[in-house]
Amino acid sequence: MNVLLNPLSNWFSKQFFHHTSMAGYIEPVIQLFKPSWRDGYYRAKVVVVQAIANRTLAIELKTESRWPTHKAGQHIELTLEINGRLVTRVFTIASSPNQAMHEGVIRLVVKQQDAGAFTPYLARLQVNSWVNISKPKGAFLLPQSGAVTFFAAGSGITPFIAMLHQNLHEQVDPIHLVYYAKANEHLVVAELESLSNRLANFTFTLLSRSSDGDVIEKLSEFHNSKWLVCGPNDFYKTIQNYAEAHQISISSEHFSLVNLHVHGDEKAHFQVDHGGIKFTADNQQPLLAQFQANKINVPYGCGMGICHQCQCVKKKGVVRDMRTGKLSDYGEELIQLCVSQVVSDVEFKA
Amino acid sequence: MAKVGEQDANYIRRVIVMQRILEWSGRILLVLGFITPWLWLVGVLALATAKILDNMEIGHNVMHGQYDWMNDKHINSKAYEWDIACDGKSWNRVHNFEHHTYTNIIGKDRDFGYGLLRLSNDFRWRVKNLWQFITYLNLSVLFQWGVAYHELAAERVFFGKKKENRDYKVPHSELKTRFFSKGARQLIKDYLIFPLLAGPFFLWVLVGNLIANLLRNLWTSTIIFCGHFTGDVKTFSEKECENETKGQWYYRQALGSSNIKGSKWFHVLTGHLSFQIEHHLFPDMPAKRYREIAPKVQKVFREHGIQYNTGSFFKQYGSVVKRILRYSLP
Repeated sequence: MNVLLNPLSNWFSKQFFHHTSMAGYIEPVIQLFKPSWRDGYYRAKVVVVQAIANRTLAIELKTESRWPTHKAGQHIELTLEINGRLVTRVFTIASSPNQAMHEGVIRLVVKQQDAGAFTPYLARLQVNSWVNISKPKGAFLLPQSGAVTFFAAGSGITPFIAMLHQNLHEQVDPIHLVYYAKANEHLVVAELESLSNRLANFTFTLLSRSSDGDVIEKLSEFHNSKWLVCGPNDFYKTIQNYAEAHQISISSEHFSLVNLHVHGDEKAHFQVDHGGIKFTADNQQPLLAQFQANKINVPYGCGMGICHQCQCVKKKGVVRDMRTGKLSDYGEELIQLCVSQVVSDVEFKA
Repeated sequence: MAKVGEQDANYIRRVIVMQRILEWSGRILLVLGFITPWLWLVGVLALATAKILDNMEIGHNVMHGQYDWMNDKHINSKAYEWDIACDGKSWNRVHNFEHHTYTNIIGKDRDFGYGLLRLSNDFRWRVKNLWQFITYLNLSVLFQWGVAYHELAAERVFFGKKKENRDYKVPHSELKTRFFSKGARQLIKDYLIFPLLAGPFFLWVLVGNLIANLLRNLWTSTIIFCGHFTGDVKTFSEKECENETKGQWYYRQALGSSNIKGSKWFHVLTGHLSFQIEHHLFPDMPAKRYREIAPKVQKVFREHGIQYNTGSFFKQYGSVVKRILRYSLP
């Protein structure tokens, strides 16, 4: 029904209300009755916000009923309205699809960043308030069969927690977890212990680089299993190189911190991706000039940030507003090319 | 600008809610006019007010990028489209760029007189200026079409000599398509579909929509003329503005516009263009904030001996009429 109704109502809305979707047209009205009701997002109610370790939060969200249940290992985009502005970050779900199906609840385990633009607000979330989430995304899933080794670093433990909880309900082969973190900063250790008591096929090792050395030294023990890796980019790269050399099947989810170049006046260069067309830009000139120097046709006008003609959608990366020195967010937002400089690699919608 | 945040986001959402309620109660009341014509009359006024809010406080301001920081996919300058005959993208190009960058520079800011009216001695007097007050009234009645036609006229798409060396940002064919498609959609919506939906009350709705559109046109035209063409507004030549500094730019914005005094509701209905001076100085500041900064701006003007052009609605409107009449004669 919706398949038919949506295109029709959206066509109607475009013709008569000048909105790309009917939901967009009525959104502010619906929000009077349903806080955080938004076109293109799902709603979720905050059930629990709890500090579980040093600067680590467990957040439980009750999803609205039409939310499609995730698969263990998938992530969501979580959107908060922070001082009137919608800000989005990606988090892996650290609870099982089974729990989502029966209780409608998902759990996130979040490491708080000092002076972050997002995570500090999570700690202040009120129980019973509403947030927006996306549908579950990602293809980082537990293989159907065969022995598996998980390699986790830091908050990269989250997808594995979901997989282990789901595993309670499904019979599979042996699973071993190698979990790297700073000494005494391993997350959810009690939970891992309880899981290994309940699951005959699950064992784990906690390691820290300072006392247990580099991860590479431990890898030879696990040649006869499929590898799943989740953690920072460097961690993943190390394991991936080894796996390739030894022809081991590997799948991964790795997060790379954006390499920011905020301080200092010295010249630095970054990659700009404009809908697939790539070029290098420096952090000294406005982006507009560098688009033009690279013969990329973009609309422009006043060149001083007034007319918004050169505005475009930044999908990833950070830029600096030359007028205020303010840094943009990491995710998708509108920026004006004529008053923006790059401070990291950036990607634009063409 | 540091204060801009939640308050402003909530404000624009509230205005949108108000607009939706007025629009739909208006459309329903038009049909209920058969019970008593008074309902129809209230309906017309509600619909006209909704259209004014959509045009001024929501459309104009959102399309200026005043709410882009909200990161909301429906409330930003790239996505917003308003309920008037003018295609939003076209307005954005001509208004946001040409008018706001080159405010009142004769030859560059084509908003000055819209090529129809002679409003300063910068233009040679022609015979047609004798009856330009009538032209002005016509422009006001058909204001949304004037705005819609603005870019096409400027690019000389249909008439006039095309300049060979002009840097056309958008092909003429696209300008034409967008002009006709947006215009047609508006006509079909207000004068065919909604009347048809009313069945036997076809005419009630058609006439109601016509009057609502007319009221909106007259209102926006009047407010915009009062913001730009009062007696004291100054014009500039291209030569004066070569290599101008940022400070000189602000100075030109200050002298090129004028304010209207009024109540809170008056300001909302003008889209805060009653603070035209502040709007020209800070076009992408959420417009409701103009009320806050106006006293500060006025103080700065006083300190620097710059005239701060403001007055009651009737004083400013009288001054506009005088200007149009004055320059209809050589």
